[in-house]
Amino acid sequence: MNLRTKFFKFKRDLNRWSLLLLLILAIVSIPILTIGLKLFNGPGESWEHIVDHVLYDYLRNSVYLALMCSLIVIFFGVSSAWLVSRFEFPFRKQLEWLLILPLSVPAYIMAYAYAGIFGYYGLFQTMSARLGFENISLDVMNIYGLSFVLSMSLFPYVYVSSRTFFLAQATNLLEASRMLGISELKSFFKLILPLARPAIIAGLVLVLMEVLNDYGAASYYGVSTFTTGIFRSWFSLGEPETAIYLSAILLAIVFGLILLEKWQRRHLKFSSAKSSKQNYNSRVLPSKTNQVLFSSFCFIPVFLGFILPVIQLLIWTEQTFSKVWNTDFIMISIESFGIAFITSCVTVFTALLLLFFTRWNKLGLLKSSSKLGILGYAIPGVIIAIGVLIPSLTLDKWLIQNNITSKLILNATLTALIYAYVVRFLAVAYQPLESSSLKIDRSLSDSSKVLGEGNFKTFFKIEFPLIRAGLLSAFILVFIDILKELPLTLIMKPYNVNTLAVKSYEYASDEMVSSAALPSLLIILTALIPAIFLNKLLLKNASNS
Amino acid sequence: MVSVLVLSCKTEEKKEDNKKDQELTVYTHRHYESDQELFKEFEKESGISLNIVNASADELIQKMSLEGEESPADVLITVDAGRLYRAKSKDLLQAFDSPMIDSIVPSHLRDEDQQWVSLTKRARVIAYAKDRVDSTQLSTYDNLTSEEWSDKILVRSSSNIYNQSLLASIIANQGKEFAEDWAQGVVDNMARSPKGNDRDQVKAVANNEGDLAIVNTYYIGKLLNSKDEDEVKAGKSVTIFFPNQETTGTHVNVSGIGVAKHAPNKENAIKFIEFLLQEKAQNIFAGSNYEYPVNPNVEPADILKSWGDFKEDELSLNELGKNNKDAVIIFDKVGWK
Repeated sequence: MNLRTKFFKFKRDLNRWSLLLLLILAIVSIPILTIGLKLFNGPGESWEHIVDHVLYDYLRNSVYLALMCSLIVIFFGVSSAWLVSRFEFPFRKQLEWLLILPLSVPAYIMAYAYAGIFGYYGLFQTMSARLGFENISLDVMNIYGLSFVLSMSLFPYVYVSSRTFFLAQATNLLEASRMLGISELKSFFKLILPLARPAIIAGLVLVLMEVLNDYGAASYYGVSTFTTGIFRSWFSLGEPETAIYLSAILLAIVFGLILLEKWQRRHLKFSSAKSSKQNYNSRVLPSKTNQVLFSSFCFIPVFLGFILPVIQLLIWTEQTFSKVWNTDFIMISIESFGIAFITSCVTVFTALLLLFFTRWNKLGLLKSSSKLGILGYAIPGVIIAIGVLIPSLTLDKWLIQNNITSKLILNATLTALIYAYVVRFLAVAYQPLESSSLKIDRSLSDSSKVLGEGNFKTFFKIEFPLIRAGLLSAFILVFIDILKELPLTLIMKPYNVNTLAVKSYEYASDEMVSSAALPSLLIILTALIPAIFLNKLLLKNASNS
Repeated sequence: MVSVLVLSCKTEEKKEDNKKDQELTVYTHRHYESDQELFKEFEKESGISLNIVNASADELIQKMSLEGEESPADVLITVDAGRLYRAKSKDLLQAFDSPMIDSIVPSHLRDEDQQWVSLTKRARVIAYAKDRVDSTQLSTYDNLTSEEWSDKILVRSSSNIYNQSLLASIIANQGKEFAEDWAQGVVDNMARSPKGNDRDQVKAVANNEGDLAIVNTYYIGKLLNSKDEDEVKAGKSVTIFFPNQETTGTHVNVSGIGVAKHAPNKENAIKFIEFLLQEKAQNIFAGSNYEYPVNPNVEPADILKSWGDFKEDELSLNELGKNNKDAVIIFDKVGWK
């Protein structure tokens, strides 16, 4: 193809959506680009030392962690999502939303809780002593314990994304397969699992990004990963340049994962059969034994990921309540809730724009690079904070120099904080939206357009109602994530605004983990309200659509 | 909706605050409860309202250098002298003059260029198992590398600033090569791979995972006064030993404060520092956080007094900052996680 035809193709495909998409992409990738530009300054002087002595360890541990977590979250996430969507058994309705709850426990708090449970005179030792086993101990503070703790707090990502898919999934395929005499188990593995792959992987990508940038839990358990390495080279060695180099490698790995995922579904069009109508009353009623089995199976991750750590937090709260509790906490809870609410709305809206502008845009190049916008999730919060601080301060300083303003108007304001959150959490909103929009039968929107309706009208009449379930899971996931978020909040928050996560960090970093229990419990409580409420909406939606 | 309202009120409030002259922005790495108490007390006494930014010193230093001349920070508080040195060498602090401060704080606890001053001291000591170790077996930090302690030493990760400063002091006192051998020797004697915080090391001694824990003094005070019975039990299972009494003295680090280079409220900043060094505030540092006060007129907490006086390493605190990076590199080389 010569240049001329290339140019004409470009001109033909360029539409206003391409420009709008470019705008959104530019806005959300400013911080990432800022960090990228820093790469040209070269690494710090200790780079060689890092390559010689520790890089291999970082890489090996991170890969190991990612693999183990993937196995555990897929096992618990997918199987429990399938059981609650397909079968009827005792406590199914309660388990449905209980399975989301582990998300509300920040991973580092869960790490502390488990260290407490299995530590010196913890629940485990006390209980086993009571049963007559003296002096047995189980060490969780290692890479295996870390994989377990991270998986238990993150598997709901996979659970939510695959359940959203199962709920809206056509049952007629499954019915047909059952009628042809294929067993339930075989139908699941041969038919449902392959169909659910994009949804499962969408959840898994989130889990992996979160695993890769966990700092609190890994450093407490003494496991050196890429992210602890980033912190170490920045803070201990005092070389932000080196930290940025390490982040760039991490980013390349994540971007590779995303491309791999796109490539693996390159030929597949995942739109489901025409009348995708699942009546959720049509759940199968298994035998009595199986009912008990299914209930208990779904209860395991709820117990390990929520009930057990919460028991530990309650024990600690009981010890420290009188010292820690004051009325400020009510105010702080409201503030945390408010920040999370506003930011979730903005984030979900931005993700929606990103998704549909990409779809309406016809430029191939832009289409394939739209994923750049969600890379923020893989970058440790502190680095994002730097990426936001540099451009916003530059703007601030420019405004002051030109006498437009007299002081910093962006620095340490809610606007800057919310912007940073959006950059960081766009992926969390984008993944469920994308996977639910992939299920929409393309012919629906196509026919609407053929009939002369524009993109907007088609969106509101056809697509929007169909992805409502995805919108809701996007909202809830972002909301909970923001409630838990820490490093970014610490640097960016306005002075007189406080969040529960910051409060619990203050205690935990002072080695007063037991005092951190109360704010942690409040985070969990605050996250419970939307989790339960939105779970109801999710179901209602699935039954209406 | 309620929360949206609350948030918008907050922003309003802030605007009004800015109109008043009487304010002070504090960038602090200290996150102890005692500090909250002190900040409230200062606001009440002086009528100056405080804006507190609480994050790790490194993040705060990074933030200050990005903000440059427009930085709202008036003072920077760290929990380690090395970080004050780093802020100073990045040209983020300025000299300040206060006869009162000079008269209170001994000169080795102040920066030679008057850019920062210590608020409290903490010693990095050995906590040994009462029932398994005799104090006569202990002598110096160097002694920790002897074969006798093989599989017995508990210490946290080298990412921790207190460990870095300890090794930095060894580098300064005995040279790089010696320091590397020492770190290697400690790694060889570790009872387990480093994990957890200082309190966890003491708990591990109580749990018989090792015999010696390298910890900061105030954590022992906090364990003994914990609401958690098991923490108290763990605290009681160990005794404190001050190493290097016959040689250079026990390694001491400080929590300190400096005035930001572009502080908008320098006068208030000095008032604030003076407040923190006077007896009232120093008593709170000592009493509820079990740190050693820098004001000589203030007694340490009873628990600390019960451990007796000790000889401090009077190495210039700036050395801790100068040798910090070498320390981290040595830790990486010898595999101290």
